[in-house]
Amino acid sequence: MPVFELLVAGILLGGLYALMACGLNLVFGVMRVINFAHGDLLAVGALTAVSLVAGMHMPYLAALILVPLMTAAIGLLMQYAVIRHIIDGPPIMSLLATFALSTIVVNISLLIWGGGFHGLSTVLGGSIPLLGMDVPLARLVSFLVAMAATLGVWWFLRSTRFGKAIRSVSQAPELAVISGISINQVRNVTFALGAAMAGLAGVLLAPTFASDAQLGARFGIKAFAVIIVGGMGSYPGAMAAALLMGVLEVFAGYLYGQVLGAATVFLAMLVVLVVRPRGLFGIGARA
Amino acid sequence: MRFLPLSILCVAALAVLPFVAGSYGMSFMIQTLIFIALAYSWNLIGGYAGYTHFGQVAFFGLGAYVGSLAVLDGTHWLVASLYAGVAASLLAAVLGGVMLRLKGPYFAIGMFGIARVCESLALGLDNITQGGTGLYLVVVEQLHLYYAVGAIALLMVLATWRLDSSRLGLQLLSIREDETAANALGVRTTRLKIGTFVASAFVPGVCGCLYACYLGYIDPATAFAPMTELTVIAMVLLGGMGTVLGPLVGAALMSVVNEVLWARLPEIYLALVGVIILIAVLYMPRGIVNYAQRRAWRWVPVARGHLRRMAQRKKEAA
Repeated sequence: MPVFELLVAGILLGGLYALMACGLNLVFGVMRVINFAHGDLLAVGALTAVSLVAGMHMPYLAALILVPLMTAAIGLLMQYAVIRHIIDGPPIMSLLATFALSTIVVNISLLIWGGGFHGLSTVLGGSIPLLGMDVPLARLVSFLVAMAATLGVWWFLRSTRFGKAIRSVSQAPELAVISGISINQVRNVTFALGAAMAGLAGVLLAPTFASDAQLGARFGIKAFAVIIVGGMGSYPGAMAAALLMGVLEVFAGYLYGQVLGAATVFLAMLVVLVVRPRGLFGIGARA
Repeated sequence: MRFLPLSILCVAALAVLPFVAGSYGMSFMIQTLIFIALAYSWNLIGGYAGYTHFGQVAFFGLGAYVGSLAVLDGTHWLVASLYAGVAASLLAAVLGGVMLRLKGPYFAIGMFGIARVCESLALGLDNITQGGTGLYLVVVEQLHLYYAVGAIALLMVLATWRLDSSRLGLQLLSIREDETAANALGVRTTRLKIGTFVASAFVPGVCGCLYACYLGYIDPATAFAPMTELTVIAMVLLGGMGTVLGPLVGAALMSVVNEVLWARLPEIYLALVGVIILIAVLYMPRGIVNYAQRRAWRWVPVARGHLRRMAQRKKEAA
């Protein structure tokens, strides 16, 4: 078994999961809403990137900037139209609402891009030698950008004034309000940021994976698995768990085939749910 | 008592329907009745016990596969559907003790994960399930299927009606409202919720098998379709979670709306279903039945209405 190669492939995949899962987790931490449509924003991001680069001959770098902005706008729209009305209701209602949003986004994407697969095989082709093995350039770049973005958002949360406001809303919304923090503003920014992270993950994914409108369900669910393993609401937990799950999936995929490899991620999630529902680093859901 | 004659009339009308309806009407009715049965099963655990989840397709799909394999093995389709129901209940019994320790969104998503694991297994174990190719069956005659699913749907309505006015139903509602308090008052919450979970898995298993017999074909994408899940939940939500008539009203309404939208606007029909759910969640989270019962339908009997109103008021205040 080529342990080292698999390990590298797993970590490279994990970088993308980290970007996805951290966005999802950020939204959960602040709003206590599990966004089912998160994966679909990723799919929209990937498909838009394909359209921009392959269809309109824009440079890949432009897609890297424009697409997250667009998904952030879609996220804000969702927040304004739906999420902010149900955020204080029972959690199951917001789950249902985002489930419905996800269906809407998927079917609009199907209308726009059709049911087929789209890819960007021409962008970032080839591979470079690294530590004695050939690493595909596209995967390496997507891993590096994803990790940079994830760590950048972490730095933003840790060190800036607005980041502190976001963290305080996620820890104690009542106290945040009486300290003069505008909860609505924080929620809007957080949701847009989470959506932008999903969009960026989509752009990064476009060169290596063939994307279709229903990609979101496959990837989004893995992001749930990651944040449940890492602990809902824990940012470093999601990062660590994403890398772990990437490696786990690649190894299981090698040993038992692609389909069952994806299932192992869920099995790991179920084990964690049962043994330690808070997740490896979780803060636990507030009642 | 305007209620009883009206319901008997409805059942009688449905019983003679096959002699007037065409093949299109029959297939529409079979699908609607399957969805009614699914909605009532989901209502048991999601509406009454308050354990909402996104994993009913796991039981539906398992039932479809167990039933199809049994039919291919030469079993009569009715017996096969019983096997399917038992298999789904067994899965629920195994899962129940573990999964029901989780609450709220964790349970909901955990069950969604279970459904996806089942789908992956159905794809992966292709020496048994033929993977993505699917299994092909001989289509069962629509008339027989109609009476079978009709009987199941009727049984579920009656069972829910009995449950609603029984001690057991109130105990389940008490779990929904406050599990800790219910436990402290001597309700055997763990036993009850596992029992309800197992019971609520039986009919989806049976329906899965009947659906496979209706289509004459089953593959992982059909058996474990998230759309089935979404539609069932939307039906219960639209009608009213934890009510006797809610799933019926919701399922009837959604089926008609689905059919009209599907015929007129096939491209955006699923997106419109999403919009309907959004509207229900945003503007009518307690469902049509709860809304109507407070306004116009006072003649529809509600068991121990005074108790229920108190529970509702508390929930609204919280």
